[in-house]
Amino acid sequence: MMQLARPSPTNTWLWLFQRITAVLLVVVLGVHLWLANFGQAAASLRAMLGVVLLGLALFHGLNGVRTVLLDLDIGTQGRKFVTMILLLVGVASLLFGIHGLWPLIVGG
Amino acid sequence: MTRRIAQILGRGGELNPRNMRLGIWAWLIQRISGLALVVFVVAHVVAISQANFALSGPLFTMLDGLRNPFWSVDRTVLAIDLIMLGIIAFHGMNGIRIVLFDMGIGVGLRSHKAIFWILAVIGIIVSGLVIFYGLPLVGGI
Repeated sequence: MMQLARPSPTNTWLWLFQRITAVLLVVVLGVHLWLANFGQAAASLRAMLGVVLLGLALFHGLNGVRTVLLDLDIGTQGRKFVTMILLLVGVASLLFGIHGLWPLIVGG
Repeated sequence: MTRRIAQILGRGGELNPRNMRLGIWAWLIQRISGLALVVFVVAHVVAISQANFALSGPLFTMLDGLRNPFWSVDRTVLAIDLIMLGIIAFHGMNGIRIVLFDMGIGVGLRSHKAIFWILAVIGIIVSGLVIFYGLPLVGGI
């Protein structure tokens, strides 16, 4: 068997959030695809949907990357390093994405 | 690490294609598609940001094409989007299977395989609907 990340409260919470964001992403991404193709919606609604989708996708994606990296047996120091770097990447990407959505947010 | 990879891929290893069955394929493709989607999300967000701020230049013209995938007339960009749609469908439907499994729904081997294939068919149908109704909106296609 693959070496799994050691059970800890942090990993258990992340596991749970990974499932919750997964289900939410299927729903929100469905709405996103619908609106991108056929839908008409107020800018405020699209802005809100954009920010929610961005947050969900960033958490789910980066936490997924963390799971893959932790499966490589990178040691305690490596795990801490990976977690911190991915957290920084996530916060920076969220700010960048909100920056990109800004015209929609203020335009609403 | 090299030794570990050799151990996993070698004879008797769990990721040696000769030993892989449906579940382990699903696990592997879920990982690879997940990593691909992280790259896609970043490209998608960058593209939309550039389009919104109306920056110009060849790079931004290319990225602008990504702004609204299904309205784009650029065939390359369209192809990438269609591939991404397929990857999203697989990752999403297989993800639902994993959530159901973790919730203890359909844990038996037979019902579990059935859930896999039912969700695969749903994924294909939904993707087909998006392509069927979305593609005519693309200029001239």
